Amino acid sequence: MAAQTKHDWADDEDLEETTTAPTTDLPPPQKIQNKDGTWTIIEYRYNDEGQKVKATRRVRYVVRREVVNPRVAERKTWAKFGDSAKDPPGPAADTTTVGENIIFRPSVNWRKEAKDEANDPNAQAMKDKLRDKKVKCRICNGEHFTARCPYKDTMAPIGEAGAADVAAGMGDEPAAAGAASVGAAGPGKKGSYVPPALRAGAAGAGERMGGKYSDRDDLATLRVTNVSEMAEEQELRDMFERFGRVTRVFLAKDRDTGLAKGFAFISFADRDDAVKACNKMDGFGFRHLILRVEFAKKAQ
Amino acid sequence: MRPILLAGHERALTQIKYNADGDLIFSVSKDQVICVWKSHNGERLGTYRGHQGAIWTIDVDPTCTILASGSADNTIRLWDIKTGKCLKTWDFPTAVKRVEFNEDGTKLLGVTEKRMGHLGTIVVFEVKIDVEAEQTDEKELTIVCEESKATVAGWSYLSKYIIAGHEDGSVSQYDGKTGDLIYNIPIHELNQQITDLQWSQDRTYFITASKDKTAKLISAKDLEVLKNYPSDTPLNSATITPKKDFVILGGGQAAMDVTTTAARQGKFEARFYHKIFEDEIGRVRGHFGPLNTVAADPTGKGYASGGEDGYVRVHAFDKGYYDFMYEVERERQNRLAATA
Repeated sequence: MAAQTKHDWADDEDLEETTTAPTTDLPPPQKIQNKDGTWTIIEYRYNDEGQKVKATRRVRYVVRREVVNPRVAERKTWAKFGDSAKDPPGPAADTTTVGENIIFRPSVNWRKEAKDEANDPNAQAMKDKLRDKKVKCRICNGEHFTARCPYKDTMAPIGEAGAADVAAGMGDEPAAAGAASVGAAGPGKKGSYVPPALRAGAAGAGERMGGKYSDRDDLATLRVTNVSEMAEEQELRDMFERFGRVTRVFLAKDRDTGLAKGFAFISFADRDDAVKACNKMDGFGFRHLILRVEFAKKAQ
Repeated sequence: MRPILLAGHERALTQIKYNADGDLIFSVSKDQVICVWKSHNGERLGTYRGHQGAIWTIDVDPTCTILASGSADNTIRLWDIKTGKCLKTWDFPTAVKRVEFNEDGTKLLGVTEKRMGHLGTIVVFEVKIDVEAEQTDEKELTIVCEESKATVAGWSYLSKYIIAGHEDGSVSQYDGKTGDLIYNIPIHELNQQITDLQWSQDRTYFITASKDKTAKLISAKDLEVLKNYPSDTPLNSATITPKKDFVILGGGQAAMDVTTTAARQGKFEARFYHKIFEDEIGRVRGHFGPLNTVAADPTGKGYASGGEDGYVRVHAFDKGYYDFMYEVERERQNRLAATA
């Protein structure tokens, strides 16, 4: 009894087949000749959902004579056999279809054309420019990317603010000096991107990033490295507040995870307090890590 | 050009052959069925059933009367092309990887696999091109490949030599009558097997395709490498086009690695090279898997390719193909026209 009530997926198809089995009530296909010489073929069939489908096609027959070898002509009269024995004359729809149009045009410099598409002249120029450039780490000046630096977690980049370009070999100063000339040439060189700061209308050397801190007193700022990931700005502030008035605490955090990156900057109102803090806090154990405190280098 | 897609096979194609007049296409695949198609419209004329293993190879005799096929069920079978009847079965201890008729269809060679303690061999049978005739059971010749098994083999002009390509990348030349080894030359990179060997129309030279990503044009007489066609993917097949001086190479990443790559990266394209200048002149895409076999229409009007995806694509060339000419070729033609 259980076998009867249990529904097996394997039975599904058989059931459907029996329900859709009476397919004999389809009208026979019709073929009507039109006045303009074309034929209208009307065929009926069942689609996958078992619905009756009427397909109407208008076909024009064009006779094209071709002279072939008698052997080939004889073979054209051969009857179909094997799995195709029951197929009507002409290609069967289930085995033969026509593919999408393919454009094939042989060309001598086919390879070259394909390559040119891949990298336009601008990319090539950039490649030439970068050929002699060496990868330089912003933290330790080693020959690797900054992200791969072994000191990544323990040291902050040399001259943190805005120094990235310097390390990469493209200083701010030459860029700023060249800005006027590049800016002038900018609009003339069509197609290449000119950053807003270098465009003709831009004001001189352009604003430096983080310009609002440019008058900041770096003399009383400490750089703290080897800070725990779990650290909070407030904790640091509390720790350093003991030595004097702290004007600013900056803890670098990862944008995505929100975890500290391992370094922070503490600015004091008074440089003497900063010196005191530097001496006391260097080597201080904080959250299982030994802090390293030094004076921040002046940004270039 | 709009290719005709032939979907008669359920598994990967292994070989495609045109008959001598180019009106019929024979295709075999790993699904144990041989199909014959009309090349001009892709209509399936019939199937040949009987093999009980993947079919690796097929060949049709020059008069288009009988068909030979070699399979993983350890047999070579002869078939009546017109009716689909099996005429003869030869049994072997191992799978058959290649069969080929000689130029006049009087002899058939078969390459057997090295397996289960049996060395790879090349066997030769005498064949009668007659559907009614009794075919012999006796091998006329057996060549044993002791060093590296043969993967492909063929008959040179006048059945003078048997040329074989080996698993280790070498090509050997045997005497067509005695089976004595004349040369064995390492032509492709060591241990990169030769996957295909197809003849020029006069059978004086042939093209080999290899897993070492190159195809080479080699003369049959002294196995001299005439031309080299480097590509960027392992090759499974190569053919020489009649009428125009091109070669077509087919290949792509090995079937087992395919699911991990996009179609674009897989390099599943037929590559056209100029036979003489060795330049790549174009590609035809379309298959969803590596191309296992390519065959050129003997009339020079088209070609067919069979892929791991189970499809045969039959292409008829259009005007751009016939018009293509190198500058030097055009100049020569103009000069000849002027003097005539």
